[in-house]
Amino acid sequence: MLSMKNISKVFKTDLVETHALREFNLNVAEGEFVAVTGPSGSGKTTFLNIAGLLEGFTEGEYCLDGVNVSNLSDNKSAQIRNEKIGFIFQGFNLIPDLNLAENVEVPLRYRGVKSSERKRRVEAALEQVGLAARMKHLPTQLSGGQQQRVAIARALAGEPRFLLADEPTGNLDSLMARQVMELLENINQSGTTIIMVTHDAELARRAQRNIQIVDGQVCDFSMYQKADHSVVAELKKVADQKQAAELNQIVSGA
Amino acid sequence: MLHIKPIVSSLMRSKSGPLLLLLQIILSVAIVANASFIIHERLTMMQRESGFTEDQILSFNVYNFDPEIDNVKQNIIDQQILRDIPNVIDAASTNMMPLSDSGWMDRFVDGPDEDTAKSMPGFAFYLSNDHWLNVMGAKIVDGRNFRPEEINTRIDETGMLAIISQPLAKEFWGDESPVGKTVYQGEQTIKIIGVVEKLQGAWVDHRNFEYSVLANIDFGGNNSNKTYVVRSLPEHIADLQEQIVKVLHAENPNRVIDSFSSLTEMKNLTYSNHRLMATILSIMVMLLLLITALGLTGMVMFNIQRRTKQIGTRRALGAKKTDIVSYFMVENYIICIAGGLIGGMLSLQLGKQLMSLYSLPILPIVYPVIAVVGLLVVTTLAVIVPAVRASSISPAMATRNV
Repeated sequence: MLSMKNISKVFKTDLVETHALREFNLNVAEGEFVAVTGPSGSGKTTFLNIAGLLEGFTEGEYCLDGVNVSNLSDNKSAQIRNEKIGFIFQGFNLIPDLNLAENVEVPLRYRGVKSSERKRRVEAALEQVGLAARMKHLPTQLSGGQQQRVAIARALAGEPRFLLADEPTGNLDSLMARQVMELLENINQSGTTIIMVTHDAELARRAQRNIQIVDGQVCDFSMYQKADHSVVAELKKVADQKQAAELNQIVSGA
Repeated sequence: MLHIKPIVSSLMRSKSGPLLLLLQIILSVAIVANASFIIHERLTMMQRESGFTEDQILSFNVYNFDPEIDNVKQNIIDQQILRDIPNVIDAASTNMMPLSDSGWMDRFVDGPDEDTAKSMPGFAFYLSNDHWLNVMGAKIVDGRNFRPEEINTRIDETGMLAIISQPLAKEFWGDESPVGKTVYQGEQTIKIIGVVEKLQGAWVDHRNFEYSVLANIDFGGNNSNKTYVVRSLPEHIADLQEQIVKVLHAENPNRVIDSFSSLTEMKNLTYSNHRLMATILSIMVMLLLLITALGLTGMVMFNIQRRTKQIGTRRALGAKKTDIVSYFMVENYIICIAGGLIGGMLSLQLGKQLMSLYSLPILPIVYPVIAVVGLLVVTTLAVIVPAVRASSISPAMATRNV
């Protein structure tokens, strides 16, 4: 479904070069539910942006659904985003001036789906997240959890091959977070591939595979998970120590 | 895809900004439409052909202070002196100058019985001799000019003949030739002997400006103050003033000769207020359009800044760059068209008020239409650059915390 080979992403300014991703390799099979964790600044968001064709990369090769998407035009990228990828953002990213139905139909409008078909899909998507009765409401009239469910409905309405979720529960309390997670699990069980970036270790454990990004590279613990828990624990400790060191730096710098 | 419905929904829910812009456009259309109409009216007025050889005509006044002088004889002598100046084509006395904002107006009736006679429209009333038409360069299209023996010196003398302007003839007699007809003024009868193609009056903004009558009275013989018109080629007009003063003073030094003015200068002076009005209104229209354009640009830039994340999200969800440009264009076209429709109706109402207050013609519908089209062009120019900039916002903005 998704194959990244030796992907690197370098941000350059006049003074510094920042390697956000380096020699990044990842394969995600169709129907998988992968959780991506890692300390701040490790490259999670950069990975998500590249995976979702939201930004380009410096080197490497990226194939999505069997298509090499390394050097696509802006319009072609937009088309693939629209047709194959569903996005769920941490801040929900609903359009405040549009009601729920209008929000959910945004990607369908860009795809040129006819009005009657749009209406059917919007109703089905909102039904799936339990908000069909509130389709005329504005996002501000909903709780955070409900808004995130609308965002999920928007992602589902386009019937994407895979979902990219960026901290989907980051702005929610634990009860809402569980509900959203259950929703994502249901979606995954229906065959949609999901990649979820999260800080929440408990949610990450519920995914089929858990990869950690450290210094722009993948540390895939899942291959050790069943074999040797002590190795996994040791590797996680290294990553956590790095995160703790960064936090110390920030605290002492402040 | 233009996505008009969600854009309208969005506009309806974020009222204040679009509403202010809408008000600005409504007022702009109403003012621009009426101002453009007034500008066009003024320009059309200034571009009317006078029918005179404007750049060849010089007028001046002569004031005689000698009580013993015989004005009739002196007038004849002076005109002959003027005609004898080298390079002078012809000269005549006159009671008024066209396009001068000062002169005589009168009105004839078509029968001797005041109770039953029909009145002609008011007209500019020129009094001069058989040389006047040649001096002014006016063209006879029907009938004939005066003969030298037909010229009177007093307005109350019998045997008044008249040459009238073609617009006046058409207004009163239609397609029928007025030559040979008799008209009346009190006890006096006036026989029409000719029609000139154009003969404008003195007041350029008078509704009867094109209605004029020339009567066979050499007005220079009436009193001691006289106005003369002299025709020469344009290249000699500048030197003519000095020569005229020299030859007339040589004949009789006890008089003042002044107020030299070419017909071109007179016309420019008369139309100066209209020119000023057209210039001020043009500047006002330009400023108004500029302010509207700045308002639109400012609103779009503000919206782009406010919606940076939203634009990134739209791009992430599959919007192409052209979709983003089209979003902002359509949003502002909707405001512009709505404002244009309301402003157009307001402009017609405003036009009616101006018509009743300042005797302006009714505002033709084409002016609000042109104003709306103009504002659509202004909207395009004002919105396209910020909209293109908005389209370059990265879809990755959707995942950033801004």
